[in-house]
Amino acid sequence: MYLEPSMKQMVIRRTVRKFAEERLSPVAVEMDATGTFPSEIIREMAKLQYFGLEIPAHYGGAGLDAVSYAIVIEEISRSCAAVGLCICVHNSVSANPIYEFGTEGQRKTFLVPMAEGQAIGTFCLTEPNAGSDVSSLGTIAIRDGNGYVLNGNKVFVTNGGMSSVNLIFAVTNTTGKQKRYSVFIVESERKGLEKGPNEELMGMRGNPVCPIALNDCHVPVENRLGGEGQGLKIALSSLVDGRIGIASQALGIAQASLDVSLEYAKERYQFGKPLSEFGAIQNYLVNLVTRVEGARLLTYRSAYLKDQGLAHTKEAAMAKLYASEVAVDVTRVGLQIHGGYGYTKAYPIERYYRDAKACEIYEGTSEIQRLVIARSLGYG
Amino acid sequence: MDIIVCIKQVPDVPNIRLDEHRMTIIREGVEGIINPLDCVALEAAVNLRERQGGRITVLSMGPPQSEEALREALAFGADQAILLTDPAFAGADTLATSHVLATAISMLKPFPDLVICGRQTIDSDTGHVGPQIAEELDLPQVCGVNEIHPQGDSLVVKRLYDGFQDTFRVNTPALLTVSQDLSSPHHIPLGDLERAFSDREIIRWAIKDLNLKPEEVGLGGSATRVWKLRKAASKRRGEIVTGSTQSLVEHVIRKLEALSILDEESGNG
Ligand SMILES: Cc1cc2nc3c(=O)[nH]c(=O)nc-3n(C[C@H](O)[C@H](O)[C@H](O)COP(=O)(O)OP(=O)(O)OC[C@H]3O[C@@H](n4cnc5c(N)ncnc54)[C@H](O)[C@@H]3O)c2cc1C
Ligand SMILES: Cc1cc2nc3c(=O)[nH]c(=O)nc-3n(C[C@H](O)[C@H](O)[C@H](O)COP(=O)(O)OP(=O)(O)OC[C@H]3O[C@@H](n4cnc5c(N)ncnc54)[C@H](O)[C@@H]3O)c2cc1C
Repeated sequence: MYLEPSMKQMVIRRTVRKFAEERLSPVAVEMDATGTFPSEIIREMAKLQYFGLEIPAHYGGAGLDAVSYAIVIEEISRSCAAVGLCICVHNSVSANPIYEFGTEGQRKTFLVPMAEGQAIGTFCLTEPNAGSDVSSLGTIAIRDGNGYVLNGNKVFVTNGGMSSVNLIFAVTNTTGKQKRYSVFIVESERKGLEKGPNEELMGMRGNPVCPIALNDCHVPVENRLGGEGQGLKIALSSLVDGRIGIASQALGIAQASLDVSLEYAKERYQFGKPLSEFGAIQNYLVNLVTRVEGARLLTYRSAYLKDQGLAHTKEAAMAKLYASEVAVDVTRVGLQIHGGYGYTKAYPIERYYRDAKACEIYEGTSEIQRLVIARSLGYG
Repeated sequence: MDIIVCIKQVPDVPNIRLDEHRMTIIREGVEGIINPLDCVALEAAVNLRERQGGRITVLSMGPPQSEEALREALAFGADQAILLTDPAFAGADTLATSHVLATAISMLKPFPDLVICGRQTIDSDTGHVGPQIAEELDLPQVCGVNEIHPQGDSLVVKRLYDGFQDTFRVNTPALLTVSQDLSSPHHIPLGDLERAFSDREIIRWAIKDLNLKPEEVGLGGSATRVWKLRKAASKRRGEIVTGSTQSLVEHVIRKLEALSILDEESGNG
């Protein structure tokens, strides 16, 4: 068993880290403070192919493997989690499903501009009354001649405020006991699609997360992704790979917290010695370092299984569950190590703490990940 | 314009550790990066190719893992990469290194118009290799350039030296070593990295491909031997002073004045 990244993956990590430290770290504080996402960052990252990470070159992407993808998201999130979230959602649950389930026409029309970073994508599943419980989806798409008419409300749309392409999950049958879902690619400028104001988030504040309302929104049949009734399958399979991305995000935030906490413990003197000399603080740090390494192994392994074409539903759920809980713990304990200074905005740890918390919630809460894992153990 | 860029893989700088017994740099477990000034050289080559057309070949002498640096250079924009690798090359000093690199360059057809090196490396820092290659190939050389302007068959280059800006016109073929101010290396698109590692070839030349004899290369071809290596004791010593804020500030000001960092005149300015 060989558990080291390849030569290519090491160079990718270095390349992304250098970019992120030079370009993202300096804007992270301002993005958090003002809740804005600088458009020049999008343009720069588009040129460097961050918007088509796993999309093959002939559709304008970088054609990376899943482990490299995980490393990219980890390194971006280490510098700026809100950008990490943007890249992660755009790639794993918006561009990738269009590549995987789209027709050649849809790939040309929607995927190529997305991979080139000209069009930002979203994934719109959650509704006011359907969060963890996807079976309560209320957005309806009624067949109408050559297309569908969509009505409903989506909430918590990551990238919503700057998106051009939105994947909308809707119910396509109004009769029959079992609801059948379908996915529609809906352009932001399409009549009947309306974006609400951005949420005032606790963390990930640089990302414009907003609601999207669909009022008699006519969508041509060519915009349906996959067959009618394939929606749930597309949602679930996208979320499996999405979780590798969230795990990587959590990992990046955890690593950033660890880096600053290890440093702080060496620099801060109390009782005539650095904090790192106190047994209690050492214990904290040792536990955190160990758990971050565990999260990293779970995350890379789930990506590796994906690269091998092997089943990885359980592994991605475990990686997402573990890495996000580790991230919350590392930031919480890291803040504790910083004492009162950690509770101020003079240090980045309070931002990491707020950012990390989101990873336990989206793309399936920790409770839902435990359900997925329990199911893989044969529990109902 | 046919350009050769010589690149060396060096340990990532904060991690450099020395093996005092074997008198070498410890490379195991340390990430190797392209010597930072060699990236500046590469960027300059890419800019020249943009204006003049032509081809960029990257050349490195090193152990097999230097392939990583060459592939990164391909992603950066090089057209071709040559790795000079052979157990016989091990232990080379700067003379033996330059000899192997110069021999490889002399075998390229057509002979390049320009060879670019970094002015020095971050691991050994001798700054010998560029000038020695130029001497062996009998090329005009300018070291530490911070501007390059092609003009017909020649180049107008500038460098900062002893507080003066020197301007030279050199006929090609020529060799330049570059300083940090010349350019800032661009970020590499991820797809270019993917292709550099999955689709591109690295040409490998060993001692026999260069028609060199073992006594001309590696330790045998070296004019110098490292005799003794020890870590220099750090001369930085801290001083802890206590007292009131006022007296501490005065103390620091006196110290800074004594070191001529702060000028007495400007004290109250
Ligand atoms: C910053 C941010 C970005 C987001 N981006 C997107 C996006 O881009 N697209 C999108 O579709 N959604 C997005 N979401 C929504 C997110 O996926 C949902 O918030 C999440 O799935 C939980 O749904 P809910 O908020 O309705 O909580 P609920 O489902 O109401 O859950 C409340 C609590 O009950 C628990 N719970 C619920 N059911 C069970 C159960 N069966 N067993 C045990 N516990 C249970 C949950 O774990 C949770 O702790 C985002 C959310 C946030 C905060
Ligand atoms: C502890 C120690 C002490 C040493 N002391 C001496 C000594 O006293 N005298 C001596 O002659 N050697 C010495 N060496 C060997 C010397 O470091 C090597 O020969 C080294 O490969 C070349 O020197 P440099 O890194 O200083 O190159 P520099 O001359 O500083 O490099 C300038 C440029 O030349 C090019 N270049 C350099 N090396 C390569 C390469 N391998 N492949 C491609 N391009 C390259 C690059 O463009 C680089 O930017 C020592 C080595 C060690 C580890």
